Order: sequence, then structure tokens, then C-alpha cells
Amino acid sequence: MKFKTFAAFVGPSLFMMLVFIALPLVSVFTQSFYNTQPVFEQVEIESCTPGFPDPVCVTRTETKPILGEDGKILTQTRFTGLESYRNVLELGRVKDALANGSWRQLMAIDFWKALRFTLTFTLLTLPLVVVVGLAIALAVNNAAKSLRGPVIFISLLPFIITPVIGALSIRWLFIGDGILTSFLEWWLAQDIAMFAQGWTIELMMLFYRVWHVAPFAFVIFYAGLQTVNQDTLESAIIDGANRWERLRYVIVPHLMPLIVFVALIHLMDCYRVFEEIVGFSSQSHVISLQWLTYDFLTPDDAGNRSIGRASASAMLTMIGIVVLLIPLLTRTWRDHKGSH
Amino acid sequence: MAEIQLRNLSKRWGSFIGVNNFDLTIADQEFLVLLGPSGCGKTTTMRMIAGLEDATEGEIWIGDRQVNDLDPKDRDVAMVFQSYGLYPHLNVYENIRFPLKVRKADPATHDERVMKAAEMVELTEFLHRKPAELSGGQRQRVALARAIVRKPSVFLMDEPLSNLDAKLRVSTRAQIKNLSHELKVTTVYVTHDQIEAMTLADRVVVMKAGVVQQVGTPTDIYDNPANTFVASFIGSPAMNLMDGDLRDGTFTGKNVEITGLNGADGPVTLGFRAEDASVAEAGTSGAVNAPLYTIELLGDATMLTVRAGGQMVSVKAHKEYRAGIGDPVSLAIPAAICHLFDRTTGARIAA
Repeated sequence: MKFKTFAAFVGPSLFMMLVFIALPLVSVFTQSFYNTQPVFEQVEIESCTPGFPDPVCVTRTETKPILGEDGKILTQTRFTGLESYRNVLELGRVKDALANGSWRQLMAIDFWKALRFTLTFTLLTLPLVVVVGLAIALAVNNAAKSLRGPVIFISLLPFIITPVIGALSIRWLFIGDGILTSFLEWWLAQDIAMFAQGWTIELMMLFYRVWHVAPFAFVIFYAGLQTVNQDTLESAIIDGANRWERLRYVIVPHLMPLIVFVALIHLMDCYRVFEEIVGFSSQSHVISLQWLTYDFLTPDDAGNRSIGRASASAMLTMIGIVVLLIPLLTRTWRDHKGSH
Repeated sequence: MAEIQLRNLSKRWGSFIGVNNFDLTIADQEFLVLLGPSGCGKTTTMRMIAGLEDATEGEIWIGDRQVNDLDPKDRDVAMVFQSYGLYPHLNVYENIRFPLKVRKADPATHDERVMKAAEMVELTEFLHRKPAELSGGQRQRVALARAIVRKPSVFLMDEPLSNLDAKLRVSTRAQIKNLSHELKVTTVYVTHDQIEAMTLADRVVVMKAGVVQQVGTPTDIYDNPANTFVASFIGSPAMNLMDGDLRDGTFTGKNVEITGLNGADGPVTLGFRAEDASVAEAGTSGAVNAPLYTIELLGDATMLTVRAGGQMVSVKAHKEYRAGIGDPVSLAIPAAICHLFDRTTGARIAA
């Protein structure tokens, strides 16, 4: 293709990517090194109460934000270097916690608490999503032709449902007087409180995420199954491979690029877990990195947002994703190079 | 060592008949070729023997076992596919070893057996390569090695040469023939290429629309085709077939008159092979007199084609023979080389 044609096709999308992805990223990156705070001034206030013969006067110094001409609080932005990162990571407390060997103490620090949950959530759902997705795909592929349409439709439903709604509906099933809780309590004749402790909430979140994302994996794998070489499959049958061996030696190797693809997408998606925290209102037990960033951005009582810390936490989240993706990306790169 | 018996074997999908009443005994160590145009049921027959397709009716016996209800892996067959069916992520060595591995053969013997199979198909230098790094012919040899490594009692080959280019096809064909001679295993070979059938087969089964047309040695079906279908399918070029009427031993059709034939009077189809006939000697008048339709130089011979008996009729002439299109030619067709077929059924009329 001529360079001009190439540029004409790629240019607009490159431009959009620059404006909507690259620039915000750069902006977040720089903001993580700055801190914006209201400018305060020390004001001496003399308050007097009427007395005799002289009024009783007390002089106090107070810190007050300076108001600009338009009546708004003046702010000032300072370069703070890595301070925001230090504030997010709280390495001092981490050192103490490690010195004491106290896991509980470490988990009291927001960032590490969020990181712990985000990592376990991501790494636990990944294999489940791949396995469940593959299982549905194989089941549908082996189902009778007349059944396939309805089965595909039903298995895609969780994927279509808006995440927050899906999470809420599961929460309402299990909440104190929800249908399922009531039923289980009646059946097992014991009190069940799914939202009273962190681990049950986490279990429900895991369940919800797998239920929600498995259809995506299913669709990809099902498409991949259509291109399995039938001759190879039949060779394996005649060579004496049973179902499991056919899956292991023919189907999974064939689907491997797709499995890597699903894993990549899932890791990127899952590391930014957010809806579950909101949907299950789990903030008091379990938080995620993305939610932490959101929390920093929420104005505090005085109306200030910690943009610096939010940016730092966002950058750290991104670094986390990149670290998780490296093994998969190197694998893809190796395969890519190997095939030439 | 196994004889294969197919007893009234049929395959139907709804009202569509894939194979109809196939009845044949394949002797131990025989090389049998199933030959026919695509859709004639030859592959379906093989797949029923392999167990990849269930028979609608009839029995399949391999050796002294009826195998209808056995899984493919329990039938002790090995199969070679048209598109090789190799495992793309395994190297050649592992591909050949695969049947031993999944059948839990004694691991100590694997290496020796794989090496022996690889040697037989001359693949020893490629053992560490992946299938993607091999040529088509090498890939098909891997498939062959994978089939022979287990020493099955039956080989099934489904158009193994169809994906190869013409030159490779000839050399791989020779290799298969040699291999089968060496291994002495009953082989069923499916092809639509009549040259492959003629060169490889001990016996050929010609099929059409699910029905067996003729079973016989290559010479048999070449020299005595059972009907016009077999006659027009076997040989290159295929047998010339002319429509005409037989009256008192004389066949007459458009541009043609052949005398000295035996047979009842009536409409018939007369067939003869291009290489049996010749151009009539100068000054004499042959059986076919017509303007030349086309002339093709083949190198070892010259092929003359004329219109006669409502068909194109080709005759091989000496390689030096030259004539222009449209020139009148006269062809000598002695009665001895002629085959007579029923015009309506196509069946051979016994001489």
C-alpha cells in the first residue's frame, strides 16, 4: 500500500487514540507528581466581648482558605515529586507491619488491602473463566443442532446484562431477607449472613464475575472450535485417543492463541474490578484498586479531591496490569516470531 | 493379518443413499482400491470400516470379529487422510509416536518403533521439525509413518495423494506400493484417480452413486468393463463410446460402419480404446470416415479426434502423423477390439 493511502486510513484513528488515550495518560502521569491544595493564610482575629471598662478582647490566629475575587477558594498546585506515591503506598506502615509479621496490620492499609483483593480476584477468576467458557463451548458444540440456538442465547444472557444490574440482582438474592437466603435458612435451619464477613462477599463477587464473563470466553472458544481440523480430530480418534486426550492434544493446542487472547482481555478487565464493589456495597470489607482511585477522587467533607493520590493510584494500577500481561505478551511474541 | 468382510453394507441419511448394499470380501494382505467420482460413496464405505460412520445396515467383519459396534480405536485400523491430519503443535517424532502414547504401549519400545517407521518413509532427518516446516509430500509421509508405527491389521487411505502436486504424486505412489508390499497388511485405498487405482491395486472396486459397478483386477476392468460407466471412467483417454444400431453383425451410426460383430439386432453402444484402433492405410476405407475435429500431439503418439456415432471419438496414431483440422480421415476399427453395451442400461452385452 502507498504510504499516503495508509496514512489516510490510519491517521484519523491514530489521532483519536492520541487525543483520547495518550494525552489523558500523560496528564494522569504528570498529575501524579503534583499536588493541588487550597491556599491558606493565617489570619489574626480579634474578638471582643463587651466588658467594663474596656471590652475583653482575645486575639486568635486561624488558618483560612483565601478566597479569590470571584468568591471561590484559591488553589495552588505544587510539584511534590513522589509524595503522592508515598502517600498511597504508605511504605512506613508497610515496614512496621512486616517487622511485626502482622498480616492484619498490612491489610489495614488501603492500597495493600485493595491490591490483595484485586490480585486474588483476578487470578482466581482467570482459570475459572477459561475453563467454564471452554466447557460451555464444548457442550454447545456437541449439542444437537436444533438446541444450539437457544443454548447460545441463554448462555450469552449474563454477558448482555449491565454489570451493575447483574451484581445487584445477585446481591438481592443473598441479602439478609433475600429469596435465596430465606430459602437456605429454611432449608438448613440456620442463620446465614452472606454480607457480614469479607470472604462470603468475595465468593459472591467471584461467582458473579465468572458468571458474567464466561459467555465472552464461550463465544470466542466456540468460534475457534469451528475451525478445528476434522481430519486431525478423526486421526486422533483412530489413533486411539479418548475424549480427554483429544481435548488435550488437538483442541486445546488449536485454541491456544484464543485462550491467550481471552486471558489478556480478562486480565486487563478484571484488574480494574469496580462494579462488584459498588454492586455488592462491599467497601467496608473489600475494596479494589480501581475503587481506591475512585475513592480518592470523591470530594471529602471540605470539597477537596485528592487528584494527586488518585493519579498515583491509577498509575500503580496500570503498572500492575502491565506486569500481569508480560508473561502472556512474551509468549505471544515468541509464537509470532516462531511462526516466521 | 485380517480379512475384511462387508456384508450387505448400506448407509443412508434420511432418504439419501450413500452406499447401497455393498457386499465384498477383501482378502488378507490384499490391496483394494475403491474408485469412483466424488459422491459415489467410496469414502463413506471406508469411514464405515474405520468406525467414523455408523452403518445403517449390514455387517462389517475384520478378521474374526464383527466390528459394527466397536469404537474406531478398538478396530485395530490405521488411517491416512487426504489433508494429512497431523498434530500441528507436535514435532514429527511426537506425531509418529502419538498412537503408541495414547494406546499406552510399553514406553521402552517407543523409540525403536518410531525410528523404524521413520526410516521406512525416509523421515529420519526431519524428526525434530514441526509439520508446518515440511513439504506436502513429507507431511503425507509423516501420516504414513504414524499409520504403520502401530502395526495395525488394516490400513485405510483416503485419497492420500490428492493434495500433492503431480510429480510428488508419482513418487509417493511408488512409495506406498513398496510399503504395502513390505508390510503385507490388508489395505483399502480410496481414490478418484483411475491411474492410481490401476497402478496400486490388486483389485479395484468401481462405484457410482453408492452402487458397486464392477469388482476386478485392474486388467479385468480395463479390458472387460462391465458397463459404459466403468468403460468411460477407466483409462486415459477413456474408452470411445458410439451410439448406433446393430443389424446382422454390422454396427451403423453417424459416420461409422463396423462389420463382423456378434450380437442381437437393436440399438447398442459400441466402445473401443483409442490405442487399439488406428488410421486406415492409404487407399483403403476404414470404419469411421469423418472430417478431423482436432489433432493433439502427445509426444509418444498423436491423438486424432473425430465426431462419430454422436460422440467424440479419439484414436491414437503414429507420432509422426500430421493432418489439418477439417481434413477427412479414415479410421480402422477391427471388430475384435469392440465392446458392445446395451444402449439403455449401459450393461455389457456378452460377445
